[in-house]
Amino acid sequence: METFAIQFLHGLAYGMLLFLVASGFTLVFGMMHVLNLAHVSFYMLGAYLSYQMFKMVGNFWVGLIVCPIVVAFLGILMERFLLRRVHEAGHMQELMITFGILFVLDEAVKWVWGSDYLSVPIPSALSGSVLIMGNIYPVYRLFILFFSLGILALLTILFMKTRLGITVRAMVSDRDMASALGTNIPFVFMLVMGIGSWLAGLAGVIAGPFISINPGMGHEILANCFIVTVTGGLGSLQGAVIASFLLGQLYSFGILFISRFAIVFGFLFMAVVLIIKPSGLFGEKV
Amino acid sequence: MKARNLYIWVGIPFGVLAILFPRVLPEFQLRMVTEITILALFAMTWKMMLNEGGMFSFGHALYFGLGAYASVLGWLHIKGLSLVSGILLGGVVAGFIGFILAAFLVRMSGTYYALLTLAFNQLIWAIVWKWRAVTGGDDGLGRFPKPDLVGISMKDPANFYYFSLVIVVVCSFLCWYFTRTPLGNVVKSIKSNEERAKFVGFNTNASKLIFLIILGFFAGVSGALYAQFQEFIGTATIDMGMSTNVLFMAFIGGVGHFWGPLLGSGIYVYLSEYLSHFTDRWQLIFGVIFVIIVLLAPQGILGIAKKRK
Repeated sequence: METFAIQFLHGLAYGMLLFLVASGFTLVFGMMHVLNLAHVSFYMLGAYLSYQMFKMVGNFWVGLIVCPIVVAFLGILMERFLLRRVHEAGHMQELMITFGILFVLDEAVKWVWGSDYLSVPIPSALSGSVLIMGNIYPVYRLFILFFSLGILALLTILFMKTRLGITVRAMVSDRDMASALGTNIPFVFMLVMGIGSWLAGLAGVIAGPFISINPGMGHEILANCFIVTVTGGLGSLQGAVIASFLLGQLYSFGILFISRFAIVFGFLFMAVVLIIKPSGLFGEKV
Repeated sequence: MKARNLYIWVGIPFGVLAILFPRVLPEFQLRMVTEITILALFAMTWKMMLNEGGMFSFGHALYFGLGAYASVLGWLHIKGLSLVSGILLGGVVAGFIGFILAAFLVRMSGTYYALLTLAFNQLIWAIVWKWRAVTGGDDGLGRFPKPDLVGISMKDPANFYYFSLVIVVVCSFLCWYFTRTPLGNVVKSIKSNEERAKFVGFNTNASKLIFLIILGFFAGVSGALYAQFQEFIGTATIDMGMSTNVLFMAFIGGVGHFWGPLLGSGIYVYLSEYLSHFTDRWQLIFGVIFVIIVLLAPQGILGIAKKRK
C-alpha cells in the first residue's frame, strides 16, 4: 500500500510536468492547426537557458522568470518570419518548418553547451522533503504539482474570462468571420505562438532540477507530448490534463510491474484511445 | 505530350548513365549511388502515400524497418533462403503489417492519421528495441549471409548495384503503373474528395487498404535491400529518425513529381556524406538548408523548375 501511494505521487509529478510541456503544444495546435515540432526544442532550450542563468546569477527564480520570456520571444520570431511566409502553402509546409527548426536547435544546443549531462540544483527553499503517509517525499515534486495546477488555472482564466480568450476562441470556431469582425488574425497567431513557447520554456526551467539536462531530453519528451495531445484530443486543455495524469500513472505503475516494456504502454494507450475514439478523449469530432 | 518528351530526354541519358556508373565511379561513390537508389524507392512509397493517397505518414520507417528485420531474420534462420526470396519475405511481412494496421488507419485522415502512424511506429520500434533475444536490441544484427544470385556474387559492389537498380526500377514501374489502374484512380478520387467517392459507390476503405498494403510491401522491399546494402541493421532503420529522413527526402525533391524522391534521396545522401566530413555540426546546416528550401520552394526543388517554365 505504501509503495502504491508513493508510486502514485511520483506518477502525479511526472504527469504534471508532461502537462506543462503538452499544454503549449496542444494550445498552438488547437488555435493555429500547426503541429509545432520545435516545441520540444523550446522546452529543451528553456532548461539549458535556466542552467546558463543559474551559472551567471546563481538564483533559480530569476531563471524561472527570464528564460521562458526569452523562449517566447524566439517562438514569436519563428512565427513572424518563418511560419507566416508558408502559411498560404498549407499546414504541411508549416510542419516542415518547425521540423527544420527542431534540427537546428538540437544541434545548436549541442554546439553551445556540449553533449554532457548538466544539472541545476534544486533551490534551497524547495530542497527538503516532507512525510506523506509515512513516506519521505521531495518538496520539489510537490512544487511541480502545485505550479502546474496554478498554470492550468491561469490558462483557464485567460481563455475563458478575458477578452483575448474570447477573441481566440472566436477565431478557432470561425476564422473568416472573426477576421471580418475586425480581429487582427496574424497578431493573434503571433501571440498564441508566444504563449505556447512561453509554456515550453517554463516547463524546461521547471524540469531542470527534476531531470538531468541533456541534448536528448527534447526527443525523450516528444513522443509523450504527442501521446498526451492526441489522447486528450487535439487542442483541448482539459483533455491534456487528464491524459497527462493517466500517462504519468501508467508509466509509474508500468515500471513497477513490467519494467522492460514500460515504454510500450504509452503508445499502446494512444493507439487504443485513437482506435476507440479517433478524436481523443475530449476532442471534437474529426 | 510535352511532359512525355521531357521524360524521354531526361530519362534516356539518365538510364545510360545509371548503367555506366559502376564503370566510371570509384567504389565509395558507387556505394553512395546504390544507397540513393534504394532510398529513392523508400521515398517514392512515402511520396505516393501523400501525393496519390493524401495520407501524411509520420511513421513510414515502420514498413522499411520491418522489411529489413524480417528479411535479415529470414536469412539468418532459414537455411538456403535465396536473395530474392529473402527480399520478398521482407516485403510480404511489411505488407502484412500494413494490412493489420490499415484496419485502424483507413478510418483516419489528416493529422490524426499522421499521429496514429507515429504511434504504431514507436510501438514497433520499442518492441524491436527491447526484444533483444530476436532482434539484438541496440546491438542490431550483423553477419547474416549475402546469398549469390544465380551464381553471381553479390559481394561485388557493382553487381549489387545492378541488382538493386533492377529491383528499384521494377518496383517504381509497378508503383507508377498502379496509379494508372482503375483502383489507383479510385485512390486518387478519395484524396480529392472522400465523401463524393463514397457516394459514387466506391468502397473507399477497401481501396485505401489495398493501397496501404501495396506501399507497405514496396517500402519493405526497400528496407530489405537496404539491410543487404549495409550488411548490418540496427534500430536506426526503424526509429523515428528514419521516418523523418524519408519525409526530408521526399519533400526536398518535390512531393508532386515522379522524379522528386530520386532527387531528394540523392541530395540527402550526398549532403549527409559531405557535410559530415566537413563539420561535426552537419545536422545544423541540414536543418538550415531544409528551412530555406521549404521557405523558398514549398513544393520542393522540382516545384521551382515547373513554376519557371
